[in-house]
This record gives sequence, structure tokens and C-alpha cells, in this order.
Amino acid sequence: MNEPLLEARDLHKTYRLGRVDVPVLHGASLRVVAGEWVAVLGASGSGKSTLLHLLGNLDQPDRGGGTIHFRGRPLDALVRWEGDRYRNRSVGFVFQFYHLLPELTVLENAMLPALVGVTRLRWWRERAAIMRRAQDTLESFGLGHRLRHRPSELSGGERQRVAIARALANSPPVLLADEPTGNLDARTGAGILDLLADRHRAGLTIVMVTHDLTIAARADRVVHLVDGRVDEASASAVS
Amino acid sequence: MYAPLLSNRYLRSRVIPLIAVAAVALCVALVIIVVSVMSGFLEMVRQAGRQLNGDVIISYPINGIPGYERLAERLEAMPEVSAVAPLVDGWGLLRMPYPDGDEKAMETVQFWAVEPESFDRVTGFLGTLHWTPVTDGLRRTLGSRDFRRDLEESIGNDELATLVDEAAVLRTMEPDRAGALVPRPGTVLGLHVSKANRRQEDGSVRPVTGHRSGSWWMPRFEVILSTLPPRTNLASPQAENVRLRVVNEFRTGLYMIDETRIIIPLEEGQRIMHLDAQALVDPVTGQPTGLTEPKRATQLLIRAAPGIHADALKPLVEATYDAYREAFIAERNNAAFAPPTRGVGLVVQTWREQQARFIEPVEKERELMRTLFSLIYLVTAGLVLAIFWAIVHEKTRDIGVLRSVGASRAGICWIFLRYGFQIGVLGAIAGLGLGALIVRNINAIHGAMGHPPIWLGVFLGIAAIGSAVIAAWRSRGGALLPLVLGGTVALALGGLAAGVFWVRFVVGGIQIWDPAVYYFSTIPNQLDPVACISTMIGAVIFSVLGAFFPAASAADIDPVRALRYE
Repeated sequence: MNEPLLEARDLHKTYRLGRVDVPVLHGASLRVVAGEWVAVLGASGSGKSTLLHLLGNLDQPDRGGGTIHFRGRPLDALVRWEGDRYRNRSVGFVFQFYHLLPELTVLENAMLPALVGVTRLRWWRERAAIMRRAQDTLESFGLGHRLRHRPSELSGGERQRVAIARALANSPPVLLADEPTGNLDARTGAGILDLLADRHRAGLTIVMVTHDLTIAARADRVVHLVDGRVDEASASAVS
Repeated sequence: MYAPLLSNRYLRSRVIPLIAVAAVALCVALVIIVVSVMSGFLEMVRQAGRQLNGDVIISYPINGIPGYERLAERLEAMPEVSAVAPLVDGWGLLRMPYPDGDEKAMETVQFWAVEPESFDRVTGFLGTLHWTPVTDGLRRTLGSRDFRRDLEESIGNDELATLVDEAAVLRTMEPDRAGALVPRPGTVLGLHVSKANRRQEDGSVRPVTGHRSGSWWMPRFEVILSTLPPRTNLASPQAENVRLRVVNEFRTGLYMIDETRIIIPLEEGQRIMHLDAQALVDPVTGQPTGLTEPKRATQLLIRAAPGIHADALKPLVEATYDAYREAFIAERNNAAFAPPTRGVGLVVQTWREQQARFIEPVEKERELMRTLFSLIYLVTAGLVLAIFWAIVHEKTRDIGVLRSVGASRAGICWIFLRYGFQIGVLGAIAGLGLGALIVRNINAIHGAMGHPPIWLGVFLGIAAIGSAVIAAWRSRGGALLPLVLGGTVALALGGLAAGVFWVRFVVGGIQIWDPAVYYFSTIPNQLDPVACISTMIGAVIFSVLGAFFPAASAADIDPVRALRYE
């Protein structure tokens, strides 16, 4: 059996809304091996996004509420700067609402993780290569003519392609996609999924959460998130 | 690397930070203007105090220092002294030549009786003369209504040069009854002693017309100085008078001097104050005693040699005076008419000590103003804090995105601190520019405020009507905001227009900076570099401090909540 690239074990997460504790995940576990495309399917409020945030170290499980391992190393053992570096280098996030920075151009948005990850000195040394890489990615996504445009000048599909380019800026091994087509029409959404499929074929590991079965069907494997747990019984290999 | 990119972009692509920059700039400009004017005022007071009085002053009012000439010689022989000027000062009534008829105006004046040559070496007196030949350089600085332009045409530069020459000796040559030219004592009046000299809008002075032969331009007129000498042997003091021909007028810029002081020849002052040399007679026999009371001067103004500070010169002057006094007594072998002991009526003071009663309150006022106006830094910090709080609130989702791509808390904090720093720097630079513009042109602005041009009122009135029309047009669909905005602008412009017309046609012009109150005829218009630098640094520091709380708050934003933030 392959060693998992990313593994969540018995995750518990509770949010506090006012005076009320709202448990979202209770005992969710997931193994993702390198090069796999896993779709996490679940109804609205089932904890899909929370699971993704925990996997991406944007949020932490409850105290004693399970662990996440990346390449065998527990994320809770990372010190603060290592956690930042993990988000910068090891995972890339794609969100349903793109979340591009409106003040930056398309090219600058696509370079953002690279900009975050380098010092000023390194930037001046490597900026040509960084820009070239972001530009190549955007051109391969059909956005070569939009490099100097602002996000407000793009369509929804174009924005999501920029968001994917941003997520891939530092060539992370894992892409965490939160309803990446949820805000797009079916045709545009299919284009985005094609794009993810291309990258997956090139070796990218993808964890995608969705509530749409037809979209989940594009993944190698679909797991259902029900009542805050991954329903192993429903886990199915699609391909 | 992302922090400079984002802070620069936030700065350029939004209106709110520009409001913060404008707020900081206004605060900086306000402090710079107030402190610069106060500092300039203080500097003018100091300059005037030192220029008009010398560095060290020996004074013995009323009775005067006997044999002052030999004391002056001793002092001038000192390497630390560059010039010494004796003078006799007193107060008197000056009978002015105006108005026509016999009922002439009287002005209360302080007369300084001087030797013009030594007085000029100590105070640069000739440099303060107002009626001088109009050179090309001077002509460029004169206002269009300056009376010196008229004089250049009417009497010519040669005659004006004669006025300077006569002021340099305080004497004029006039024909006597036999037609022979004889010297007559002259006087130089402070420019505002004559109430016929009226200040013009451009700051120049112009004598009023009305005299049958033209204007009441003082040179060539005769005045009579009357005083009551307190030093007299008579039971009841008798008034002394001297007729003086006005040979010129001077302007120090210190209004209270220009308004009250006149310069007359030393010997005339000594005579009317009974301080001239006199052969003593025996009060019983009425026979000459063979003793001569030496001439006296009530003050000796001493200018230090270059590089010598007044405080360093003072003890040397005191020692010289003491040595002079001892020599005086030893030579005469008795203490009759001896110079007084120091500290008993006779004092040696630096110019600063002499002016302390005047300078110290001004210094305290400046520090008080600086302290009070420094509170404006808190306003700066508060403004930046409020604006940044709004910006951080608005940028919550962006902060979540940045955290998701690996930005650290410190990095997020640094974006907003840098942003605050940039706003502080830009605001400080803009404030310096605005402050400099206003300070440099403060007299012109003051003139325009006191006598605003009518075209400005018309322009503001038209702009007010235009704003009202646009507001009505934009709100014809029932929108309230254009009506409120346009109405406010129209009211403000209309109010300003009404103010202009009120000042011009009802009040007839107002004088905000009254030279009679503020001592100087012009408002100081030099920037205080220390105030500029300290204010700019303060504004930057407080802008960063103001940004600190929102920046820390931004760094603490939970990225998950931020990404869900709508």
C-alpha cells in the first residue's frame, strides 16, 4: 500500500457560535496518496470546507481532536513559520469565490504565493523566473492576453483560472479545491475541471470538496462526508 | 516582498488613504504654520533686540555716565569689542507739522540722541532708513503704490541720496537770514511716528495728501521736540525745546520702535536733558569754581567683535567699567562727578537681559503653542487609526487569502504598518509643502483676507449658484445625497462670497495682524526648520502608531473567518 501524502486521522472540530458549541467534524479521517484526485462529497454544512481548511493548516483541529500528517509529519508539530511555509509551498487553495485581490493585476495575483515566499533579495534575483513561470501558467490557461487586467475585468471562469494559477504558483504537491465550480455555469465549470484534470495527469494531488455528484465523478475517488465523518462505506474508486 | 506591493497598491487605488494623507498634511501644515510664525516672531524680537541695542549695554538713566568718551575709548580698545555708541535717551512731545493751521498734532516720542557715525556702526542705523535712492534692486521689491516710486519721479534719486547723507550726520544746511548756509540739527523719525504715514494694502507706507503743497511727507518739514529734563538744579523743572528738521525716516520693522522713536544729534539730547559739559559756579558766590562737569551719556551700546558672544563680553565690559571708574576717581583725586558704582542705578546688561521682560513671555508663549498644537499628533494618530480600522475591516477577506498562501501574521501586520508609514511620510511632505506655501505667502494671504478682491467674491458667488443648480439637477429624481452635498458646497461658497462682500463694502477691510498689537508691521514668513523636521517626524511616528492597532488587529484575523467574510 502506498504511503499517504496527506492523512487526516479522527479529526474533531467544533465551532463556537455565541454561547453554543457547534460540532462540525467528529472523527473524520482521510488518506490521500500522492497523485490521487479525491472528491469529498457532502451536503451543505457537512463540514467539507472545514475539513479542507484543516488539511491546509488554515485551521487546527480541537485540542486532542485528531492529527493531520503531511508526508508523515504531523502538522500540529509545525512551529508557526513552518505552518506558514506549509501553506505557501506544500498546498494550494482554490476557493469557490476565487478570492483574487482586486488591487493586483492578473499576473500579480498569480505570483502572490511566490511573492509571499521570497525575501526582497531573492525577489530581485529570481523575479524574472518567477514572472516567467506565472506568465507561462496563465498562458497555458488561455489568459495570456489578460496579464495586466484587474480581476474586476474578468469573467467568472477567467477569475477561477487565475485562482488556480495562483494556487499552483509555487508548484505545490497538493491542491485543495473548495467547490471550484460552484459559482460557475456548467460549461465554464467543465472547463475548470478539465484544467484540473490536466494538472492531475501531470502528477498533481487534488482534494476537492463539492456537493455535486457529477463534478465529484471527475475525481479518482469520492468520499462522502456525513455528519462530520467520512463515510468509508460510501467511499468509492471511480477510476 | 508582497508587503511593499500591496501597501503601494492600497495607497494608489483608493480614496480613503488619500483622505488620511490629506488629514495628516493638514495637521502638519497647521503645526508648521503656527510654530513657524511664533518662532519667526521670537526671532524677529531677538534680532531687533540685538540689532537695535548692541550686544552689551551700559545704562545709567537720567543722570548719565560722566566722561563716557574715555570709557568708550577704553571699550573700543578691547579686541572683543567692534564698536561703541553713546546715547542719551528720554521721552518728550513732538510737535508735528500737520495739520494745516495753528493747532498742530503732538506725538509722544522716545528720543535717542546719538552720534550717527558710531550709532550706525553698532546698530546699522543707516540701513534702516526708509527714504533712499531707488536702485534697480529696490525697485523690484517695491509695491505698485509705494511712495518711493513717486519720489523717484518727483524729486529724483539725487535728492533722495541727499536725505541719506543728511541722516548720516543728523544735520542739514540751510540759509540763515543773511543767506549764508548754516548747519541745522536734523532728526530721523520712526516711520510710524507721523500718523500721516498710512500703511497700504501691499505693506508699503504712503503719506496722506492734504497739505497745501502736496502730501505730508515728513522730510523737509520741521518738528519741535519738547521735554522736561528731570536733572535740574531749579526748584521747578523748565521744559526744553529743540527745533529739528526732519531729514529722513527709519523703519526697523519693530512697530513699537517705529511708532515712538526718533533719532536726534547727541549734543542736542545732552543739552535738553542737561547732560552737556557745564562749568560749575559756586552756588553762594556765583563765581566759577574752576571745575567742569563732564558730558554725560545715559547709555553706551556696545557691539561685540565677530565671534564674541554677548554673555562672554559682559564680564569684560564690567571689568573695563570698574577700571575706568577707579582711574576717573584717582585722576581727579576726589569722587565728585565720579561714575557710579555698578549695580546702583548703573547696570551692565546683555541685550537679552535688557529685553528679557519682553522676550521671555514670547518664548513661553511659543512653547505653550508648540505643546498645545502637538496635541494634533493625537488627532493624526486617531484619524489614521479610524481610517485604517475601516480599511482592515474592508480588507478582511484579502487578509484571509494572504494567510492561505502562506503570509505570516507579522507579514500582515507589516503591510498595514508600512501603509501607515507611507501615509505619514506623504502627509508630512504634503503638509510641509502646504505649510511652506502658506508661511511664505502669509502676508499676501493676510492682505487678501483683510481686503479680499471683489472678483473673488463674484467668483465664489457664481460657484455657489452653480453648485446649487447642479445639486438641484442631480437630485431631481429624488436622490438626497447630491442635494445634501451640493447644498453644503453651495452654502459654504455662498457664505464665503457674502463674507468677501461684507468685508469689502460693510467693514471696509479688516486688519487681522495689527502691528500695534504684535509689534511688527509684517507677519514673520520664515519656516522654522526645527519645527518642520520635528513636526514631520512626529506625524510619521503617530501615523505608524495610529496604524499599529488596526495592523495588529489585521494580523489576528482568523483566516477561516476571513475567507467566509462577506
